[in-house]
Amino acid sequence: MIIADRKPLEEIQEMVKSCGKILLVGCKGCVTVCNVGGLKEVQVLASILRIARKKEGRPLEVEEKVLERQCDPEYVEQLRDTYDQYDAVLSMACGVGPQFLSEAYPDQRFFPAVNTKFMGGAVQHGIWEERCAGCGTCIIHFYDGMCPIARCSKSLLHGPCGGSADGKCEVSSDIECIWDKIVRKKMEQDRLEDLRVLRAAKDWRTARDGGPRRSIREELVK
Amino acid sequence: MHLKNRLDVGEFAVLVEMEPPKGIDISSMVFVAEKLRSKVAAVVVPDMTAAVMRMSPLGAAMILQSKGLETVMQVCCRDRNRLALQGDLLSAYAGGISNIMIVDGQDLAFGDHHQAKAVDDIDGEQLARAIKGLCQGRDMAGTELLGAPAFFFGAEFNPGLEGDELEQELERLDRYKDAGAGFFITTPVFDPAVLENLADRLDVRQLNLIPTVMMLKSVGMARYIQRNMPHFHLSDQLIRRLQKASDKTREAVQIAREALAVLREAGFKGAMLAPMGWERKLPEVLV
Ligand code: SF4
Ligand code: SF4
Repeated sequence: MIIADRKPLEEIQEMVKSCGKILLVGCKGCVTVCNVGGLKEVQVLASILRIARKKEGRPLEVEEKVLERQCDPEYVEQLRDTYDQYDAVLSMACGVGPQFLSEAYPDQRFFPAVNTKFMGGAVQHGIWEERCAGCGTCIIHFYDGMCPIARCSKSLLHGPCGGSADGKCEVSSDIECIWDKIVRKKMEQDRLEDLRVLRAAKDWRTARDGGPRRSIREELVK
Repeated sequence: MHLKNRLDVGEFAVLVEMEPPKGIDISSMVFVAEKLRSKVAAVVVPDMTAAVMRMSPLGAAMILQSKGLETVMQVCCRDRNRLALQGDLLSAYAGGISNIMIVDGQDLAFGDHHQAKAVDDIDGEQLARAIKGLCQGRDMAGTELLGAPAFFFGAEFNPGLEGDELEQELERLDRYKDAGAGFFITTPVFDPAVLENLADRLDVRQLNLIPTVMMLKSVGMARYIQRNMPHFHLSDQLIRRLQKASDKTREAVQIAREALAVLREAGFKGAMLAPMGWERKLPEVLV
Protein backbone atom coordinates (compact mmCIF):
# COMPACT_ATOMS: atom_id res chain seq x y z
CA MET A 1 0.00 0.00 0.00
CA ILE A 2 0.94 3.66 -0.18
CA ILE A 3 2.49 5.02 2.98
CA ALA A 4 2.23 8.66 3.94
CA ASP A 5 3.01 10.89 6.91
CA ARG A 6 0.98 13.85 8.01
CA LYS A 7 2.56 17.17 7.13
CA PRO A 8 3.85 19.32 9.99
CA LEU A 9 1.00 21.31 11.49
CA GLU A 10 2.64 24.67 10.75
CA GLU A 11 2.77 23.85 7.05
CA ILE A 12 -0.91 22.94 6.99
CA GLN A 13 -1.84 26.06 8.95
CA GLU A 14 0.14 28.17 6.49
CA MET A 15 -1.79 26.67 3.56
CA VAL A 16 -5.18 27.50 5.04
CA LYS A 17 -4.25 30.73 6.76
CA SER A 18 -6.39 32.92 4.52
CA CYS A 19 -9.41 30.59 4.78
CA GLY A 20 -12.48 30.98 6.97
CA LYS A 21 -14.14 27.72 6.08
CA ILE A 22 -12.59 24.54 4.76
CA LEU A 23 -13.49 20.95 4.05
CA LEU A 24 -11.12 18.35 5.44
CA VAL A 25 -11.50 15.18 3.44
CA GLY A 26 -10.00 11.81 4.31
CA CYS A 27 -9.79 8.55 2.39
CA LYS A 28 -10.69 5.01 3.43
CA GLY A 29 -7.91 3.50 1.31
CA CYS A 30 -4.20 3.17 2.10
CA VAL A 31 -4.04 6.24 4.32
CA THR A 32 -6.65 4.76 6.64
CA VAL A 33 -4.63 1.56 6.95
CA CYS A 34 -1.40 3.44 7.69
CA ASN A 35 -3.26 5.63 10.18
CA VAL A 36 -2.65 8.96 8.57
CA GLY A 37 -5.75 10.06 6.68
CA GLY A 38 -8.78 8.05 7.78
CA LEU A 39 -11.80 9.08 9.82
CA LYS A 40 -9.91 9.26 13.10
CA GLU A 41 -7.08 11.37 11.71
CA VAL A 42 -9.55 13.68 9.98
CA GLN A 43 -11.32 14.28 13.28
CA VAL A 44 -8.08 14.91 15.14
CA LEU A 45 -6.63 17.32 12.57
CA ALA A 46 -9.95 19.15 12.28
CA SER A 47 -10.09 19.85 16.00
CA ILE A 48 -6.43 20.87 16.18
CA LEU A 49 -6.97 23.36 13.36
CA ARG A 50 -10.15 24.72 14.95
CA ILE A 51 -8.57 25.13 18.37
CA ALA A 52 -5.42 26.76 17.01
CA ARG A 53 -7.39 29.29 15.01
CA LYS A 54 -9.79 29.98 17.83
CA LYS A 55 -6.79 30.89 19.99
CA GLU A 56 -5.71 33.35 17.34
CA GLY A 57 -9.17 34.90 17.50
CA ARG A 58 -9.87 34.02 13.86
CA PRO A 59 -12.03 30.91 14.06
CA LEU A 60 -11.78 28.40 11.24
CA GLU A 61 -14.82 26.40 10.29
CA VAL A 62 -13.75 22.86 9.38
CA GLU A 63 -16.18 20.36 7.95
CA GLU A 64 -15.19 16.71 7.92
CA LYS A 65 -15.75 14.03 5.34
CA VAL A 66 -14.17 10.72 4.43
CA LEU A 67 -14.47 9.28 0.93
CA GLU A 68 -14.28 5.59 0.12
CA ARG A 69 -11.32 6.35 -2.16
CA GLN A 70 -10.10 9.68 -3.50
CA CYS A 71 -8.38 8.02 -6.48
CA ASP A 72 -11.67 6.94 -7.98
CA PRO A 73 -13.90 9.36 -9.93
CA GLU A 74 -16.99 7.51 -8.72
CA TYR A 75 -16.34 8.48 -5.10
CA VAL A 76 -14.83 11.86 -5.94
CA GLU A 77 -18.25 12.66 -7.47
CA GLN A 78 -19.75 12.59 -3.96
CA LEU A 79 -18.41 16.10 -3.33
CA ARG A 80 -20.26 17.56 -6.35
CA ASP A 81 -23.01 19.30 -4.36
CA THR A 82 -20.83 20.74 -1.64
CA TYR A 83 -17.28 21.31 -2.86
CA ASP A 84 -17.83 24.99 -3.65
CA GLN A 85 -19.09 25.90 -0.20
CA TYR A 86 -15.55 26.17 1.14
CA ASP A 87 -12.59 28.51 0.73
CA ALA A 88 -10.42 25.46 0.13
CA VAL A 89 -10.40 21.70 0.52
CA LEU A 90 -7.67 19.97 2.48
CA SER A 91 -7.12 16.35 1.48
CA MET A 92 -5.67 13.71 3.77
CA ALA A 93 -5.31 11.15 0.98
CA CYS A 94 -2.02 10.33 -0.73
CA GLY A 95 -0.86 12.69 -3.48
CA VAL A 96 -3.27 11.10 -5.92
CA GLY A 97 -6.34 12.24 -3.97
CA PRO A 98 -6.04 16.03 -4.15
CA GLN A 99 -5.13 15.72 -7.84
CA PHE A 100 -8.20 13.70 -8.71
CA LEU A 101 -10.23 16.17 -6.70
CA SER A 102 -8.82 19.22 -8.47
CA GLU A 103 -9.31 17.58 -11.84
CA ALA A 104 -12.98 17.00 -10.99
CA TYR A 105 -13.49 20.47 -9.49
CA PRO A 106 -11.10 22.85 -11.26
CA ASP A 107 -12.61 25.97 -9.69
CA GLN A 108 -11.79 24.89 -6.14
CA ARG A 109 -8.38 24.87 -4.42
CA PHE A 110 -7.13 21.57 -3.00
CA PHE A 111 -4.25 21.29 -0.54
CA PRO A 112 -2.36 18.15 0.51
CA ALA A 113 -2.29 17.51 4.25
CA VAL A 114 0.09 14.55 4.01
CA ASN A 115 3.49 13.80 2.50
CA THR A 116 3.22 10.69 0.34
CA LYS A 117 6.35 8.60 0.84
CA PHE A 118 6.52 5.10 -0.55
CA MET A 119 4.96 1.73 -1.31
CA GLY A 120 5.44 -0.69 1.52
CA GLY A 121 3.82 -2.26 4.54
CA ALA A 122 3.83 -2.48 8.33
CA VAL A 123 6.76 -4.41 9.76
CA GLN A 124 5.46 -3.98 13.28
CA HIS A 125 2.67 -1.98 14.84
CA GLY A 126 3.34 1.67 13.98
CA ILE A 127 6.35 1.06 11.72
CA TRP A 128 6.10 0.94 7.94
CA GLU A 129 8.89 0.17 5.53
CA GLU A 130 9.49 0.65 1.84
CA ARG A 131 9.40 -2.42 -0.36
CA CYS A 132 8.77 -1.31 -3.94
CA ALA A 133 9.83 1.71 -5.99
CA GLY A 134 7.39 0.98 -8.82
CA CYS A 135 10.13 0.47 -11.41
CA GLY A 136 7.64 -1.17 -13.75
CA THR A 137 9.71 -4.27 -14.50
CA CYS A 138 9.86 -6.46 -11.44
CA ILE A 139 13.06 -8.44 -11.01
CA ILE A 140 12.82 -9.64 -7.42
CA HIS A 141 12.74 -13.27 -8.50
CA PHE A 142 16.47 -12.92 -9.15
CA TYR A 143 16.96 -11.81 -5.58
CA ASP A 144 14.90 -14.30 -3.65
CA GLY A 145 11.97 -11.97 -3.33
CA MET A 146 13.91 -8.97 -2.04
CA CYS A 147 14.02 -5.78 -4.07
CA PRO A 148 17.42 -4.16 -4.47
CA ILE A 149 15.96 -1.29 -6.47
CA ALA A 150 13.81 -0.04 -3.62
CA ARG A 151 15.72 -1.43 -0.67
CA CYS A 152 19.40 -0.90 -1.50
CA SER A 153 20.27 2.79 -1.10
CA LYS A 154 22.26 2.62 -4.33
CA SER A 155 19.91 0.25 -6.17
CA LEU A 156 22.86 -2.07 -6.80
CA LEU A 157 22.07 -5.18 -8.83
CA HIS A 158 25.16 -7.37 -8.35
CA GLY A 159 25.96 -7.42 -4.68
CA PRO A 160 26.65 -5.16 -1.72
CA CYS A 161 28.85 -2.09 -1.85
CA GLY A 162 31.86 -1.67 0.41
CA GLY A 163 29.80 0.20 2.97
CA SER A 164 27.73 -2.74 4.11
CA ALA A 165 28.58 -3.55 7.74
CA ASP A 166 26.92 -5.86 10.27
CA GLY A 167 23.84 -6.10 8.13
CA LYS A 168 23.40 -2.33 8.09
CA CYS A 169 23.56 0.11 5.23
CA GLU A 170 26.28 2.75 5.13
CA VAL A 171 23.64 5.43 4.81
CA SER A 172 22.38 4.89 8.34
CA SER A 173 22.45 2.26 11.04
CA ASP A 174 18.63 2.43 10.99
CA ILE A 175 18.59 1.03 7.46
CA GLU A 176 19.14 -2.66 6.91
CA CYS A 177 21.44 -3.59 4.06
CA ILE A 178 19.20 -5.63 1.82
CA TRP A 179 22.24 -7.04 0.07
CA ASP A 180 23.42 -8.56 3.32
CA LYS A 181 20.06 -10.35 3.48
CA ILE A 182 20.09 -11.42 -0.15
CA VAL A 183 23.62 -12.84 0.09
CA ARG A 184 22.85 -14.63 3.35
CA LYS A 185 19.78 -16.25 1.94
CA LYS A 186 21.60 -17.34 -1.21
CA MET A 187 24.36 -18.82 0.97
CA GLU A 188 21.92 -20.65 3.19
CA GLN A 189 20.27 -22.13 0.17
CA ASP A 190 23.53 -22.84 -1.57
CA ARG A 191 22.63 -20.66 -4.56
CA LEU A 192 25.33 -18.03 -4.36
CA GLU A 193 26.15 -18.84 -7.98
CA ASP A 194 22.98 -16.92 -8.96
CA LEU A 195 24.79 -13.69 -8.18
CA ARG A 196 27.43 -14.36 -10.81
CA VAL A 197 24.91 -13.70 -13.55
CA LEU A 198 25.61 -10.32 -15.12
CA ARG A 199 22.40 -8.33 -15.36
CA ALA A 200 22.00 -6.02 -18.35
CA ALA A 201 21.72 -2.30 -17.61
CA LYS A 202 18.14 -1.80 -16.52
CA ASP A 203 15.55 -0.38 -18.86
CA TRP A 204 14.27 2.56 -16.84
CA ARG A 205 11.60 3.49 -19.34
CA THR A 206 9.06 1.44 -17.43
CA ALA A 207 9.88 3.49 -14.33
CA ARG A 208 9.23 7.22 -14.15
CA ASP A 209 12.11 7.84 -16.57
CA GLY A 210 9.93 7.10 -19.58
CA GLY A 211 7.68 9.98 -18.53
CA PRO A 212 4.43 9.79 -16.53
CA ARG A 213 2.97 6.32 -16.85
CA ARG A 214 -0.34 4.90 -17.83
CA SER A 215 -1.82 1.46 -17.64
CA ILE A 216 -4.42 0.35 -20.17
CA ARG A 217 -6.46 -2.82 -19.76
CA GLU A 218 -7.98 -3.16 -23.21
CA GLU A 219 -10.74 -5.55 -22.15
CA LEU A 220 -12.05 -2.99 -19.66
CA VAL A 221 -11.89 0.04 -21.92
CA LYS A 222 -15.30 0.72 -23.41
CA MET B 1 38.69 39.48 -27.39
CA HIS B 2 36.51 37.56 -24.96
CA LEU B 3 32.93 37.00 -25.95
CA LYS B 4 31.64 39.16 -23.13
CA ASN B 5 33.86 42.10 -24.05
CA ARG B 6 32.92 41.73 -27.67
CA LEU B 7 29.25 41.89 -26.80
CA ASP B 8 29.89 44.80 -24.43
CA VAL B 9 31.61 46.90 -27.09
CA GLY B 10 29.03 45.90 -29.68
CA GLU B 11 31.30 44.08 -32.09
CA PHE B 12 29.17 41.57 -34.01
CA ALA B 13 29.93 38.14 -32.52
CA VAL B 14 29.70 35.17 -34.84
CA LEU B 15 29.22 31.93 -32.94
CA VAL B 16 29.15 28.50 -34.48
CA GLU B 17 27.78 25.33 -33.02
CA MET B 18 29.99 22.26 -33.27
CA GLU B 19 28.88 18.84 -32.09
CA PRO B 20 31.64 16.82 -30.42
CA PRO B 21 32.31 13.50 -32.17
CA LYS B 22 30.60 10.26 -31.27
CA GLY B 23 33.87 8.53 -30.61
CA ILE B 24 37.39 9.64 -29.92
CA ASP B 25 38.39 10.79 -33.37
CA ILE B 26 38.62 14.55 -32.98
CA SER B 27 40.46 15.18 -36.24
CA SER B 28 37.45 16.45 -38.15
CA MET B 29 36.33 18.72 -35.32
CA VAL B 30 39.82 20.14 -34.92
CA PHE B 31 40.30 20.53 -38.68
CA VAL B 32 37.18 22.67 -39.00
CA ALA B 33 37.90 24.55 -35.80
CA GLU B 34 41.33 25.59 -36.98
CA LYS B 35 39.87 26.97 -40.19
CA LEU B 36 37.36 28.97 -38.19
CA ARG B 37 39.72 30.31 -35.56
CA SER B 38 40.09 33.77 -37.05
CA LYS B 39 36.47 33.97 -38.16
CA VAL B 40 34.39 33.25 -35.11
CA ALA B 41 34.03 34.78 -31.68
CA ALA B 42 33.37 31.41 -30.08
CA VAL B 43 32.36 27.83 -30.71
CA VAL B 44 29.22 26.63 -28.94
CA VAL B 45 29.63 23.03 -27.80
CA PRO B 46 26.32 21.23 -27.24
CA ASP B 47 25.62 18.87 -24.36
CA MET B 48 24.50 15.68 -26.11
CA THR B 49 21.90 17.28 -28.35
CA ALA B 50 18.71 15.29 -28.66
CA ALA B 51 19.97 12.94 -25.94
CA VAL B 52 22.36 11.23 -28.35
CA MET B 53 25.44 9.99 -26.51
CA ARG B 54 28.70 11.52 -27.70
CA MET B 55 31.88 13.08 -26.33
CA SER B 56 30.96 15.35 -23.45
CA PRO B 57 31.10 19.10 -24.07
CA LEU B 58 33.62 19.48 -21.25
CA GLY B 59 36.18 17.37 -23.07
CA ALA B 60 35.43 18.76 -26.51
CA ALA B 61 35.45 22.38 -25.34
CA MET B 62 38.76 21.90 -23.55
CA ILE B 63 40.26 20.47 -26.74
CA LEU B 64 38.97 23.45 -28.74
CA GLN B 65 40.29 25.90 -26.14
CA SER B 66 43.69 24.24 -26.40
CA LYS B 67 43.59 24.96 -30.15
CA GLY B 68 43.10 28.63 -29.44
CA LEU B 69 39.33 28.89 -29.87
CA GLU B 70 37.01 30.43 -27.36
CA THR B 71 34.08 28.18 -26.45
CA VAL B 72 30.62 28.37 -24.98
CA MET B 73 29.95 25.10 -23.16
CA GLN B 74 26.35 24.01 -23.01
CA VAL B 75 25.13 22.40 -19.82
CA CYS B 76 21.86 20.56 -19.32
CA CYS B 77 20.56 18.96 -16.16
CA ARG B 78 19.28 15.74 -17.68
CA ASP B 79 22.35 13.59 -17.16
CA ARG B 80 24.06 14.86 -14.02
CA ASN B 81 23.13 15.65 -10.47
CA ARG B 82 24.17 18.83 -8.68
CA LEU B 83 27.52 17.39 -7.60
CA ALA B 84 28.50 16.36 -11.13
CA LEU B 85 27.24 19.62 -12.63
CA GLN B 86 29.18 21.79 -10.23
CA GLY B 87 32.27 19.59 -10.48
CA ASP B 88 32.25 19.78 -14.27
CA LEU B 89 31.77 23.54 -14.12
CA LEU B 90 34.83 23.91 -11.91
CA SER B 91 36.83 21.65 -14.25
CA ALA B 92 35.66 23.71 -17.19
CA TYR B 93 36.73 27.01 -15.72
CA ALA B 94 40.09 25.66 -14.64
CA GLY B 95 40.48 24.38 -18.20
CA GLY B 96 39.86 27.81 -19.69
CA ILE B 97 36.14 27.61 -20.45
CA SER B 98 34.47 30.71 -19.08
CA ASN B 99 31.27 30.86 -21.14
CA ILE B 100 28.38 28.61 -20.21
CA MET B 101 25.02 28.21 -21.88
CA ILE B 102 22.26 26.53 -19.89
CA VAL B 103 19.95 24.41 -22.03
CA ASP B 104 16.91 22.31 -21.17
CA GLY B 105 18.03 19.25 -23.08
CA GLN B 106 15.61 16.95 -24.84
CA ASP B 107 14.11 13.94 -23.17
CA LEU B 108 15.93 10.63 -23.35
CA ALA B 109 13.13 9.32 -25.53
CA PHE B 110 14.51 11.44 -28.40
CA GLY B 111 17.98 9.99 -28.24
CA ASP B 112 19.81 6.74 -28.70
CA HIS B 113 19.85 5.48 -25.10
CA HIS B 114 16.14 5.18 -24.48
CA GLN B 115 16.50 2.92 -21.49
CA ALA B 116 18.59 5.35 -19.44
CA LYS B 117 17.49 6.96 -16.22
CA ALA B 118 17.09 10.71 -16.36
CA VAL B 119 18.69 12.63 -13.51
CA ASP B 120 16.96 16.03 -13.45
CA ASP B 121 18.12 16.67 -9.91
CA ILE B 122 17.87 20.43 -10.43
CA ASP B 123 16.48 22.49 -13.29
CA GLY B 124 18.05 25.13 -15.48
CA GLU B 125 16.97 28.05 -13.35
CA GLN B 126 18.38 26.45 -10.24
CA LEU B 127 21.57 25.78 -12.17
CA ALA B 128 21.75 29.47 -13.07
CA ARG B 129 21.61 30.31 -9.37
CA ALA B 130 24.22 27.65 -8.65
CA ILE B 131 26.56 29.17 -11.25
CA LYS B 132 26.07 32.59 -9.71
CA GLY B 133 26.88 31.06 -6.34
CA LEU B 134 30.06 29.44 -7.65
CA CYS B 135 31.13 32.81 -9.02
CA GLN B 136 30.60 34.24 -5.54
CA GLY B 137 32.87 31.54 -4.17
CA ARG B 138 30.33 29.10 -2.74
CA ASP B 139 28.92 25.79 -3.89
CA MET B 140 25.26 24.82 -3.62
CA ALA B 141 25.81 23.53 -0.10
CA GLY B 142 27.19 26.92 0.89
CA THR B 143 30.75 25.69 1.31
CA GLU B 144 33.55 28.05 0.37
CA LEU B 145 35.53 27.25 -2.78
CA LEU B 146 39.27 27.32 -3.18
CA GLY B 147 39.19 29.98 -5.87
CA ALA B 148 35.98 31.11 -7.53
CA PRO B 149 35.26 31.03 -11.27
CA ALA B 150 34.04 34.11 -13.16
CA PHE B 151 31.61 32.60 -15.62
CA PHE B 152 29.77 34.53 -18.30
CA PHE B 153 26.61 32.51 -18.70
CA GLY B 154 23.47 32.56 -20.75
CA ALA B 155 20.43 30.55 -21.66
CA GLU B 156 18.12 29.68 -24.53
CA PHE B 157 15.25 31.81 -25.74
CA ASN B 158 12.50 30.89 -28.19
CA PRO B 159 11.32 34.12 -29.85
CA GLY B 160 8.97 32.36 -32.27
CA LEU B 161 6.30 31.43 -29.76
CA GLU B 162 2.95 33.16 -29.67
CA GLY B 163 0.26 34.08 -27.18
CA ASP B 164 0.46 32.54 -23.72
CA GLU B 165 3.47 30.49 -24.67
CA LEU B 166 5.38 33.62 -25.60
CA GLU B 167 4.35 35.25 -22.32
CA GLN B 168 5.73 32.29 -20.39
CA GLU B 169 8.92 32.38 -22.42
CA LEU B 170 9.38 36.08 -21.69
CA GLU B 171 8.84 35.45 -18.01
CA ARG B 172 11.40 32.68 -18.10
CA LEU B 173 13.84 35.03 -19.78
CA ASP B 174 13.27 37.56 -17.03
CA ARG B 175 13.93 34.98 -14.36
CA TYR B 176 17.18 33.99 -16.06
CA LYS B 177 18.14 37.65 -16.31
CA ASP B 178 17.48 38.04 -12.60
CA ALA B 179 19.66 35.02 -11.96
CA GLY B 180 22.50 36.72 -13.78
CA ALA B 181 22.28 35.40 -17.35
CA GLY B 182 24.34 37.64 -19.61
CA PHE B 183 23.22 36.44 -23.04
CA PHE B 184 20.44 34.50 -24.74
CA ILE B 185 20.89 32.33 -27.80
CA THR B 186 17.64 31.81 -29.65
CA THR B 187 16.13 28.77 -31.28
CA PRO B 188 16.53 28.91 -35.09
CA VAL B 189 15.13 32.07 -36.64
CA PHE B 190 14.27 31.98 -40.33
CA ASP B 191 12.35 35.21 -40.37
CA PRO B 192 13.98 38.21 -38.63
CA ALA B 193 10.54 39.87 -38.45
CA VAL B 194 9.86 37.50 -35.55
CA LEU B 195 12.55 39.32 -33.59
CA GLU B 196 11.39 42.76 -34.65
CA ASN B 197 7.90 41.89 -33.45
CA LEU B 198 9.32 41.50 -29.97
CA ALA B 199 10.81 44.97 -30.00
CA ASP B 200 8.07 46.45 -27.84
CA ARG B 201 8.56 43.72 -25.23
CA LEU B 202 12.33 43.36 -25.21
CA ASP B 203 15.25 45.52 -26.08
CA VAL B 204 16.39 42.92 -28.60
CA ARG B 205 19.56 44.82 -29.35
CA GLN B 206 20.63 45.64 -25.81
CA LEU B 207 19.89 42.22 -24.41
CA ASN B 208 22.79 40.25 -25.91
CA LEU B 209 20.19 38.32 -27.83
CA ILE B 210 21.95 36.06 -30.29
CA PRO B 211 19.69 34.66 -33.00
CA THR B 212 20.44 31.23 -34.41
CA VAL B 213 20.87 30.74 -38.14
CA MET B 214 20.20 27.12 -38.94
CA MET B 215 21.57 25.67 -42.16
CA LEU B 216 18.90 24.19 -44.38
CA LYS B 217 20.56 21.10 -45.74
CA SER B 218 17.77 19.96 -48.03
CA VAL B 219 14.26 20.71 -49.19
CA GLY B 220 13.07 17.70 -47.20
CA MET B 221 14.55 19.11 -44.02
CA ALA B 222 13.02 22.50 -44.70
CA ARG B 223 9.61 20.96 -45.23
CA TYR B 224 9.92 18.91 -42.08
CA ILE B 225 10.77 22.02 -40.08
CA GLN B 226 7.92 23.96 -41.60
CA ARG B 227 5.46 21.22 -40.76
CA ASN B 228 6.67 20.31 -37.29
CA MET B 229 8.28 23.43 -35.89
CA PRO B 230 5.86 26.27 -36.56
CA HIS B 231 7.68 28.52 -34.07
CA PHE B 232 10.71 28.60 -36.41
CA HIS B 233 8.55 30.48 -38.95
CA LEU B 234 10.08 28.97 -42.08
CA SER B 235 8.38 30.50 -45.12
CA ASP B 236 7.19 28.87 -48.37
CA GLN B 237 9.34 31.39 -50.16
CA LEU B 238 12.51 30.02 -48.62
CA ILE B 239 11.53 26.46 -49.49
CA ARG B 240 10.81 27.50 -53.07
CA ARG B 241 14.16 29.22 -53.32
CA LEU B 242 15.90 26.05 -52.26
CA GLN B 243 13.75 23.96 -54.57
CA LYS B 244 14.57 26.09 -57.58
CA ALA B 245 18.32 26.13 -56.98
CA SER B 246 20.32 23.87 -59.27
CA ASP B 247 23.08 23.49 -56.67
CA LYS B 248 21.19 23.08 -53.42
CA THR B 249 24.25 22.90 -51.25
CA ARG B 250 25.58 26.16 -52.58
CA GLU B 251 22.18 27.75 -52.15
CA ALA B 252 21.99 26.58 -48.54
CA VAL B 253 25.39 28.13 -47.86
CA GLN B 254 24.25 31.32 -49.58
CA ILE B 255 21.01 31.46 -47.56
CA ALA B 256 22.95 31.12 -44.30
CA ARG B 257 25.44 33.75 -45.36
CA GLU B 258 22.66 36.19 -46.21
CA ALA B 259 20.88 35.52 -42.94
CA LEU B 260 24.03 36.40 -41.04
CA ALA B 261 24.41 39.60 -43.03
CA VAL B 262 20.81 40.59 -42.36
CA LEU B 263 21.25 40.14 -38.60
CA ARG B 264 24.50 42.08 -38.63
CA GLU B 265 22.86 44.89 -40.60
CA ALA B 266 19.88 44.92 -38.28
CA GLY B 267 22.14 45.68 -35.35
CA PHE B 268 22.04 42.44 -33.39
CA LYS B 269 24.96 41.75 -31.10
CA GLY B 270 25.78 38.53 -32.86
CA ALA B 271 24.43 35.35 -34.40
CA MET B 272 24.98 31.66 -34.01
CA LEU B 273 25.34 29.35 -36.98
CA ALA B 274 23.97 25.87 -36.49
CA PRO B 275 25.45 23.67 -39.22
CA MET B 276 23.31 20.62 -38.43
CA GLY B 277 26.09 18.21 -39.33
CA TRP B 278 27.54 20.40 -42.06
CA GLU B 279 30.43 21.59 -39.92
CA ARG B 280 32.72 21.31 -42.92
CA LYS B 281 30.65 23.89 -44.78
CA LEU B 282 31.12 26.50 -42.05
CA PRO B 283 34.28 28.02 -43.50
CA GLU B 284 32.37 28.64 -46.74
CA VAL B 285 29.56 30.40 -44.94
CA LEU B 286 32.01 32.59 -43.11
CA VAL B 287 34.25 33.65 -46.00
S1 SF4 C 1 11.94 -4.69 -8.85
FE1 SF4 C 1 10.75 -2.85 -9.33
S2 SF4 C 1 8.60 -3.52 -9.33
FE2 SF4 C 1 9.80 -5.15 -8.31
S3 SF4 C 1 9.66 -4.63 -6.13
FE3 SF4 C 1 11.52 -3.67 -6.91
S4 SF4 C 1 10.91 -1.58 -7.52
FE4 SF4 C 1 9.04 -2.81 -7.26
S1 SF4 D 1 25.23 -0.86 2.39
FE1 SF4 D 1 23.88 -2.36 1.43
S2 SF4 D 1 21.90 -1.31 1.17
FE2 SF4 D 1 23.41 0.22 1.63
S3 SF4 D 1 24.07 0.93 -0.37
FE3 SF4 D 1 25.53 -0.67 0.21
S4 SF4 D 1 24.69 -2.54 -0.61
FE4 SF4 D 1 23.04 -1.03 -0.73
